[in-house]
Amino acid sequence: MSETPVLEIKQLTGGYSIGKPVLHEVTFDVKPGEMVGLIGLNGAGKSTTMKHVLGLMTPQDGNILIQGSTKNEAPDLYQSSLAFVPESPLLYEELTVREHLEFAARAYGIDQQAYKQRAEELLKLFRMEEKADSLSMHLSKGMKQKVMIMCAFVARPPLYIIDEPFLGLDPLGIRSLLEFMKQIRDEGASILLSSHILSTIEGYCDRFIVLHRGAVIAQGTLENIGEQTGLRGATLENMFYALVKDGE
Amino acid sequence: MMELKALYQKRKHAFWGKVLPFFPYVMQSGVAVLLLISLITFSAWYTTFLTHFPVDFPVRFIVFFTLALFIAHVSFRTYLREADVVLLMPQESIMEQYLRPSFIRGLVYKLLGLFLIVLILWPMVIISKIDILPIWLLLLLLTVLKCVSGYGYWQEINTISQSTRRLLKLMRFSVLILILGVWLWQPIWKSAIFSLLVILTYLVVLRIPMKHRLAWENLIAIEKASASRVMLVLSWFVDVQAEGQKIVHRVWLSSIGQHLPWKKELSYKYLLQKTLIRSELLAIVIRLGVLGAFLVGWSGGSWLGLAVYLLFIFLIGAQLTSLRQVHEDSPAVQYYPIPEGVRKNTVISVIISFLSVISLIMWLPMLFVPVGQLTIKLSALGLGAIFIVALRATWIRKWREEEE
Repeated sequence: MSETPVLEIKQLTGGYSIGKPVLHEVTFDVKPGEMVGLIGLNGAGKSTTMKHVLGLMTPQDGNILIQGSTKNEAPDLYQSSLAFVPESPLLYEELTVREHLEFAARAYGIDQQAYKQRAEELLKLFRMEEKADSLSMHLSKGMKQKVMIMCAFVARPPLYIIDEPFLGLDPLGIRSLLEFMKQIRDEGASILLSSHILSTIEGYCDRFIVLHRGAVIAQGTLENIGEQTGLRGATLENMFYALVKDGE
Repeated sequence: MMELKALYQKRKHAFWGKVLPFFPYVMQSGVAVLLLISLITFSAWYTTFLTHFPVDFPVRFIVFFTLALFIAHVSFRTYLREADVVLLMPQESIMEQYLRPSFIRGLVYKLLGLFLIVLILWPMVIISKIDILPIWLLLLLLTVLKCVSGYGYWQEINTISQSTRRLLKLMRFSVLILILGVWLWQPIWKSAIFSLLVILTYLVVLRIPMKHRLAWENLIAIEKASASRVMLVLSWFVDVQAEGQKIVHRVWLSSIGQHLPWKKELSYKYLLQKTLIRSELLAIVIRLGVLGAFLVGWSGGSWLGLAVYLLFIFLIGAQLTSLRQVHEDSPAVQYYPIPEGVRKNTVISVIISFLSVISLIMWLPMLFVPVGQLTIKLSALGLGAIFIVALRATWIRKWREEEE
């Protein structure tokens, strides 16, 4: 595993108004072939961190580098290097499922043959073949979420930012997603994943970042966090509870 | 309990309070001048036409055709919102209080429009001296038919099955147009009996399909589309978003966009073409294009035809500019790697391509009608092309200034 991070966040301070930062000197990285869980209570700063990474918010201080460059230094490379799956599906109502995949593939400059192959694989994996030519406006919430996930996976960038992906997914969908994330992680992709379902991500993520009140209060492997909390061998949920309870 | 009638009024005022402040800008954009010029030109043309009225002019058919276009059209603004499914649904049994003003307004305004059309058409009836029903009876008939249309439309909205809804709509249009035709061509007593029987049968048929007591979701979707239509019209003149437009699948057009070269720079064009083929804008532009083609063909290769041709290019172009706002704040901008500057160029390119195609189609009737001068016909095509280039330059300059 290479040690050069795909995503590097250095001393990030930011928020919605100057003088009242939501994030306080947040520092962590995601290396190639690594799945990192970003966990925290509601309002801890997970989504704000992701918005900064996506370039939707500008840091008040600190830097965010993807593939070694900030967004200002190489905007096209930065944007092409990441795919985002938001918490709530954001789709084009006038596009069918297949057209969403094609649009994403075109936007990321994916080879046409590769797109066709990946699209079929993903439609099958997420059991969306029958809905491939339906307009997204006619899909259920869970199906919409699947389309968002498939759009990200059809692009195959080096970094995935995935915010609460399990909301609305059925149990089979959750399993397909986890298995696919594991597969692309093994192929070298990096994933920053935020979720409240700690028992689900516990067995899949390589490392965890625990955010609390906008600051990183613990990070590392499950073992590392066990050491920091003095709860070696405990579940992630128990460790997390111990960390945030002390901080309250 | 919330006063439902007051809530309707509050929502109505809130919506129009948001829209009306834009009207001065709309007027400043030249619309007022264009409307005034159109009105003066039409009045002058119509007066001349009536003065030299052709002996064999098909007045009865023109009256029928014009009224048939508008007789079945009904729409209600309910101002319902998505949250109403939770918050207003408990008051479903008394929602009539909320919806009644919506029905009344919907019918009254459309009836007034119909009456105005009758008043414009009536001088032709008087001059031609055709044997047609008296004006008071025609106005009464239109009132009855509009009310039947309003009732039928309401039953369609509440019908559960989408395919039945479409059938009922077709039936409503057929029944109303048939009755109108009968009254214009048949004696009054026969028409009255026929209409009574047809309307009664229609009302009985309306009772057959399964219906919601109140089709909340359908009503909310219709309201969303209606509100969006108002914003769409505004967006032709001022920079506003027209979200929530009605989307139509149009499977027969799905191949558009599929044949674009597989290039990253064309990804936004792919999205925009797909958006256009499924938008309400396409329907509006096609309707306008058909009307334009008809009028251009009717005017023949005359200077009037040329002016009408250029006017319709302008009108269609103005409507297509709303494509600029379509994806302004969409995920494409934020989440997909669309290169800088591509969006503006793509919007212009799609608008100009589409406008050029539709302008060419509108010109064809002028070419094929056997009247008029060929030089004027060819000039119209050339001037149309120059006009499109000029419009392109104007939009690019205007949008750049707005961005700066």
